[in-house]
Order: sequence, then structure tokens, then C-alpha cells
Amino acid sequence: MMTKFSFRFALVATAAFLTACGGGSESTNTVDTSLDNTQEVNDYYAANPDFFTFATINDLPNDLVWEDGMDEPDLGSPDAVKGGTFYESIEDFPPTLRFVGPDSNFSSRSWIAGYYRMGYAWPHPNTRNFIPGIAESWAIDDDTSTVYIKINPEARWSDDEPITSDDQFFAFYFFQSEYIQAPFYNNHYNTEYTNITRYDEHTFSVTMATAKPDMAEYGLGLNPIPQHFYKELGEDFPERYQWRYEPHAGAYTIDDQNIDMGVRIVLERKKDWWAKDNKYFRNLYNVDRINLTVMRDAAKRYEAFRRGDVDMMRVVTADMWHDNLPPTDPDVAGGYIHKATFFNGGPRSNWGLWMNSSRPYLDNQDVRIGIQYAANWDLVISNYFRGDVERLKTQNDGYPDFSNLNIEPRSFNIDLALEHFAKAGFTERGPDGILRNAQGDRLAFTLTTHYERLGDVFTILKEEAIKAGLEIRVEMLDGAASFRKAQERQHDIYFVSFSPQLVMYPDYWQYFHSDNAYDDAFLEDGSVNPDRKIKTQTNNLQVVADFELDQWIEEYDSSEDYDRMVELSQMIQEKVYDYASFSPGFVEVNYRTAYWRWVQWPEGFNFRFTTYPYEMFAFWIDPEMRQATMDARRNGETFEPHADDVYDQFKGLQ
Amino acid sequence: MSLLKLNPQTVKKLRRFREIKRGYYSFLILMAFLFLSLIGEMLINNKALIVSYEGDWYFPTYSAFHPGTDFGLDYPYETNYRDLQKHFQESGSDNWVLMPIIPYSPYENDGSTGIFRPEAPDASKQHYLGTDTTSRDILARLFYGTRIALVFAIGFMAAVYLIGVAVGCAMGYLGGMFDILSQRLIEIWSNIPFLYMVIIVFSVIPDAFTIFSRILILLGVMVLFSWTSMTYYMRTETYKEKSRDYVAAAKVLGASNTRIVFRHILPNVLSTLVTFMPFTIVSAISAITALDFLGFGLPPPTPSLGELLKQGTQTLRTAPWIVMSAFGTLVVLLTLVTFVGEAIRESFDPKKFTLYK
Repeated sequence: MMTKFSFRFALVATAAFLTACGGGSESTNTVDTSLDNTQEVNDYYAANPDFFTFATINDLPNDLVWEDGMDEPDLGSPDAVKGGTFYESIEDFPPTLRFVGPDSNFSSRSWIAGYYRMGYAWPHPNTRNFIPGIAESWAIDDDTSTVYIKINPEARWSDDEPITSDDQFFAFYFFQSEYIQAPFYNNHYNTEYTNITRYDEHTFSVTMATAKPDMAEYGLGLNPIPQHFYKELGEDFPERYQWRYEPHAGAYTIDDQNIDMGVRIVLERKKDWWAKDNKYFRNLYNVDRINLTVMRDAAKRYEAFRRGDVDMMRVVTADMWHDNLPPTDPDVAGGYIHKATFFNGGPRSNWGLWMNSSRPYLDNQDVRIGIQYAANWDLVISNYFRGDVERLKTQNDGYPDFSNLNIEPRSFNIDLALEHFAKAGFTERGPDGILRNAQGDRLAFTLTTHYERLGDVFTILKEEAIKAGLEIRVEMLDGAASFRKAQERQHDIYFVSFSPQLVMYPDYWQYFHSDNAYDDAFLEDGSVNPDRKIKTQTNNLQVVADFELDQWIEEYDSSEDYDRMVELSQMIQEKVYDYASFSPGFVEVNYRTAYWRWVQWPEGFNFRFTTYPYEMFAFWIDPEMRQATMDARRNGETFEPHADDVYDQFKGLQ
Repeated sequence: MSLLKLNPQTVKKLRRFREIKRGYYSFLILMAFLFLSLIGEMLINNKALIVSYEGDWYFPTYSAFHPGTDFGLDYPYETNYRDLQKHFQESGSDNWVLMPIIPYSPYENDGSTGIFRPEAPDASKQHYLGTDTTSRDILARLFYGTRIALVFAIGFMAAVYLIGVAVGCAMGYLGGMFDILSQRLIEIWSNIPFLYMVIIVFSVIPDAFTIFSRILILLGVMVLFSWTSMTYYMRTETYKEKSRDYVAAAKVLGASNTRIVFRHILPNVLSTLVTFMPFTIVSAISAITALDFLGFGLPPPTPSLGELLKQGTQTLRTAPWIVMSAFGTLVVLLTLVTFVGEAIRESFDPKKFTLYK
């Protein structure tokens, strides 16, 4: 009898264990919710009175000029219809629903939170002027680098709690707290801001550390954090909040029952969303449900799209665009699948070769210039990308005024390459056609990367470089390993691109300042410190250290004068060009997408400062058309084809 | 090999192997391919076999590189011999170029339209199996990919057998505590996930290593985690043979352990070994192909079957010739090796002469 009982108990225990493993979302919701950190938070405010100031509405300055940003053009289309489900694929299931802390920087993060979380005000995606988000109005005081914000009294969290100034106070507590295990946020919120002042429930001000020209973006771009949700914030934050979806001010939310672990997540539109009638939001966020299904393999995602299981597919590669979905394809020719090219603007991803100028022979400027001439990007662009991308000019393209348009990247030129290699002592070709110097060293470098999908690009560069007597060894690592290698400065040449943020001016300090290249790079008088050691784990992957450049970057960073910053930016880019450790590769000046005909777009397709077609959620889905299209396809009925709708209203603009 | 000659039993088995036509011819075909692949540079290459220029003869296939200026062209890099051939023909001079049958290297991009994309098989361009996604000749890549896979597999087999036989024999012959301890160790060792080890090892290899040494390291890692299975067979076989009377007799006569193992036991367990060999090769080829397919195998742009297969799966609709070529080659190769294996197994099977009553 005893054994029987034990056996049964073991079964039950096993079952319970398995359930606990599988249904993380259910088990974590039964955590102890009686914790309350209100006192701790208030103590923190009290301990930092300079940062957290409590005032009354009477203390608000009277001479402020309040703006509400209501004069900008509408977004989306008035024809947009609400409803339907948008089917989309994601590469990996999110490892957590937190948006901060360990593992929170995952590939589908934008779909989980990024696209819907709202700031107080945000730049209009075409004009870059501020339009309201959570804020009703705001005032910018340049003299004190302070932004005053009035929260829209209607604003609600997705769990219907009102959004108040206290939530912004709490946001500072949250991001400065070590509980969240996010040093970047800790640092950012401690150094970029100096004060927050509460005037009343809906009015507060934030003071920035400097009066940089884009100071307002720092203030208006803040996100409040729901204090009531994080009452249990403590040491166990990562585990406690692992599968709890933070309420935000946006249109979509995730219900626990819509999470199918490892398979699918469905977001649902809040029907009574507080901003649904707002001038700028009424025509956005049109679909009722966003169905995100995990599809790890690119080939599988493509097949799913062709079946109509996925509504839209961003087309990145030339062969996908020209060979897999040619205008003659039955689905394209029949008008079931549409294709569109949209020319966008904004800072560009800087695909190129990042040379480590601290490595033997790469520390020679002539070798670096030689490599620039030996890199046949023109051939890559014309023959591999079929002319669909353009040559990148600098490491920081796409910043109006700040990007130096006079710089022309060096084109493939064997004679010039050989000339510069010869200057560096590489004069003789070995039996394999690779140059050697007097010591017998071969001119060979390793190109480290993890972009497997661009593997063909590297073989083309390699084959072409041989013509100039340069050997490029291609080393394909996985993402983490290759980045670690570059971070530890073990790389010769690294192929990577840093996705830029949509900001006004480029950041040079992290890429070019000697602070990020060496410990104590220079002595007091500006001469090279003979004992300097390479600094790892920074973004100065090229180990650029130039005393004059340092001065410019420091002035650029501290300058509050727009024109002087522009001037310095041009000078810095010029110098970086001469230093020649970055071989600019290619730049995508548009994005292309293929979508089923039931996906509808506003006039002009989309917005200038966007990088993805769906980013603003201005499209809408016609559920009836979905059925009709599929029926027509079965019956052989065709529609007007849209093999390539080109939207070039923003072409050529930065 | 001298052991084989000495043993009349083995001679008989080999004769039987020759009688099994399917396996025997498969073996001949494989050997022929192996031979051809050794002189592959003379069959499939973008370097000319012979260039006759201004009365001098050049043999660029195996010699140092010749810049275009050597042949009166205006560029300092490796001569494009196909163009040189055309150039000589057009200029009507006495100079001539003899190109290999397939005048493409497995690395060069040769897009006829100026765009690097798969092109269908075209005998007039001498792309007999078409080109891959960056316009490289598929036949050239298949040929050199297969050569690497075969050499890799043979090297793998040799290394695995060396370790497996040595350890297995020692376990079986010495027995006792050594046997028990080794078995436990092997059990633990064989449970280390092989794929993870490959990924980990490859992430720490210094980049200055050449492609050749990277291939050797890959071979080393694969051997390190594959020798264990061979020890089980060797151990039991040795145990069995060790208890036979002839071993006891040898012992009584004063033969040393080394002599007993090498002269008496090994020749008698050889048949077990030989029957496994082709199947080890099959598994090695499959493994290296699978690793390449997953992107953890030979470093790019080394030609490989796995890499072509991967390209093929991505271009199923647009360039079916890629996957067909790669898949076809793999099927033929593995079938041939398997035929050889079956024939060996059959000819070495003692049951043919056994009657059970």
C-alpha cells in the first residue's frame, strides 16, 4: 500500500514539475504580491533631494512657452479600417517579457515592447518636429536645459491605472536602481539628467546635464514606469518579472493566455485605448491582433509567406527580390503578392571593414589605405547586390548637416593599392601572388564576422584582394564570439555594422576617442605614452588614438553651439578618412517589402524616418479581402499586378 | 598490410570480395576517383596546363603565380588564362594556351551577365553543372569538396582506428581494473555533446591559423569524440581471442605481450575491423557534410558538399540544379562506399562456411 502511494505521489510530483517547466507564465504569476517597496522608494527620493524635488504648481515658472505639437500633418490614412489579424514571424521566442535586465536585448524585442511603448512626445516621422505622446503639452527652457511636461490627464496604463508624475519619478528610481541589473541604464539616468521636479499630479520638469542641441529629445523621449506594477521590485527582479508583461501607454498588450511558450505570442489591441481618438494615433495601430509565430529559418519564413501564413516579408537580399519574387512569378504577376520599394532617410547602418589599427602592419597607415583600395566594394555592389544598394561614404552617413558630403570613399584601384603597400615595405609577390616584405611576412589579414547571410560578399572581396597582392582570411564565427573577439581587440579586420539610433548628430567619442583605445594614451604634452595599454570592451574597434582628434571630439561633445558642432563634425570625419581604418562598404538607402494584397497602406506608403515598413503601424488589414484573394487565387482570377511600387518621395534626402 | 598477405584466410576473403561485383566495381570507381582527385588541379582549374608564349613554355598548374605582365598583358595580378587563350586566338599569334577540361577554379566568380547569381548548366560556357549563388562553377566546387571530404574521411578513419584499436585491445588484453576504469571513463567521455565541443573549440582557435590547420583541428575534434565506439568491439574481440588456446600456447612458449597482441590477436580480429571501415567513412562524410551545412565545418570559402547543400535548400525554387548536384553527388558517393562496405562484410562473414545442424 505504501509503495503504491509513493508511486502515485512521484507521478503527481513529476507532473507538477513538468507543468512548472512548461508553463512559466502561469507559475510565476502566483508569486507573493504582498511586497511593497513604496517606503524604500520614498526614502530614496528623500536621500537625493537635489535630484528629486517636490514643488507645488505655484512654483512653475510663468514665462514658459507651452507647445502641443498639434499642427503637424496627420499620420496614417483616414481610410484605415480597424480589425483583422496581422500575421508576422519572429526569429526567436523572447527569453523574457521584461524589457530591461538580463537577456532583455533579444531580436524580437521591438515586437514585444519597442513599437508600442510611448514617450511624452516624439519626433514626427516625416518632419522630425515633436508631436505629443503621453504629454498634453510641454515647454523647453534652453537656458536651464530643462523640459517642462504636462501629462495628458486621459493617459492610462494598459491596466487602466492613470499615468502621473509619480510614475516618472519612479522611472528615475527604477533606472538608477541596481536591482534591474542594467549598468547602461544606471549610467545613462545618473549622468544625463540632474533633476526632476514634481509640480502636481500631471506636471513635472526634467533637467538635463548639458544643453546640447538635442536636449529636448532627452527629456521628451523619457518613458514613465508604472510604479504600481513594480511594487515588488527587489533583488530578485529578473526572475520575479521574467514573464510579466509591463503595462505601458501603447495600443497593444499581451495577455498571459496568448503566450504559447516557444511557439507564438499574440498581442491584442486595447479597444478602449486612451489615445484612440488622438489626432496622431487615430489612424495607426489598426489591426486587432498581432500574431507573432517563431520561425527560426529564413527559408521557412519565406515558404510561410508564400503560403499566406505570414502577411508581409521584409526583403533584404537581391536574390530574394529578383529571383525568388520576380515580376513573372505567378503570385506577383497575378497581383496577389505586391512588392514595394521605399526610400527612407535618417542615420545609416555603417556596413564596412573595421580595421584594428593596433595590430602588426595594420598600424601602418599605408597598409590601411592599401586595403581600402584593395576592397572591391564596387564589384560587390554591382554584381552581388545588383546595384540595389549604394556605396557608404563615411562611418556616419545620414545625419543632415553633420555628415561630410565632400568625402568620397576610395574605389578599388590595384595600382594605388600596390603603391601604398610598397610604401609600407610590401614590394615582392610571393609564389602565391601575395605580397611579402623584406622579412618575408605575407600581407595577410583575417576578416572576422558573423554575417553568414553575407558570406558571398566576403568571398568576392577575398578573391578581388588577391589581385592587389592582399590575402583576406575569412573567419565566420557566431555572433557572440565574433563580437567578443572584437571587444577584446583580437581581431585584424571586423565586418560589422552598428545600427544607429534616430538622433540629430553622430556620437564620435565611443568610436574615435583615445579614452576608448588605450589607458592613458597620451602624456601631458600630447606625445604618445610609451607604456599605454590597449583598452578592451569599448566601441573603439579601430583603436583610433589621435591627440588632435581627441581635442575636437571633446569640444564637439561639450559644445552647445549647433554650428560649431557641425564644423567639428566635418573636421572629425575628414581626419577619420585620412586615418583610413574604416573601409566604408555599402548602405541601404531604401527598404523593400513584399506583402499580400490584403495589407493596405496609406498614401505615400510610409514615413521618411523609419527603417521598417510596419514600424509605425499605419497599415491595415482587410479580413474580407484575405478570403477573397485566396479564393481568387484558387480560381485563377487575377488582379492588377504591383511588381515594384517605388516610393521615392524622400530619395536623395538624408 | 603485410599481415594480410601472410594470412591465407584473408587472401581467400579478398578473392571473395572480388567476386561480389557490385562492391568490387564500386571500390574500383572510388579508387579511380581518388586517383583523379589527386591530380585534380590538372582537370579542373583556371590555371592553364601549358602556355606557349614567345617560344617559351610555361606550366602554371603547379608552379608559382604568373602576373599578367609575364604574358604581355597589362595587369600585375594572376593571369586570367581563359582570357589569355582568347587573346592569343584573336591576335592570331603563334602563342597558345592549353586549358584543363573544366577551366574554372572552385573559388572564382564567373557571372556571364555581370551579376553573381546561379546560372543553369550550360555546356557552351563549360559550366556543366551550372553555377552557385555567386557564380562559381558547381562541378569544380563539388569535385574539390568531395576530394576534401574523402581525404578527411580517410584521415578520420585512420585516426579513429588507431586510437580505438589501441585502447580497445589494451582493455581486452589487460582486463581487470584497467578495463573497468577505462570503460567508465569512455562512458563519461562519449556523453560529452560533440557539436557543442566543435562550436566551443572553433570559437577559441586563433585566427592566424591557415585553412589547412583549421581543417586538421576540426579533424582532431571529431576524432577526439568518435574513437570510443570502436573500443567496444575491439575489447570484446580481444577478450574472446585472449581465452583461445592458441594464445595460451603462445604464452606458454614465452611470447611477450607485444608479440601476442600484434602477431596473434590483431590478425584474428582484423576482419571485424575491416567490415566497419567503410561505414566509418560513410559516417565521417555525413558528419562533415552536416557540420558544413550547419556552418560549423570547414571555413568559407572552402568548397564543400554541405555548403552547396545549404545553398541548394535556400534556392530550391530558383536554382534547383544546385541542390540536385550536391544531393546527387552525396547519394552516389555514400552509395558507392556502402556497396563496398556490404561487399566487405559479406566476404568477411565466416558464416558462409558454417553449417548449423
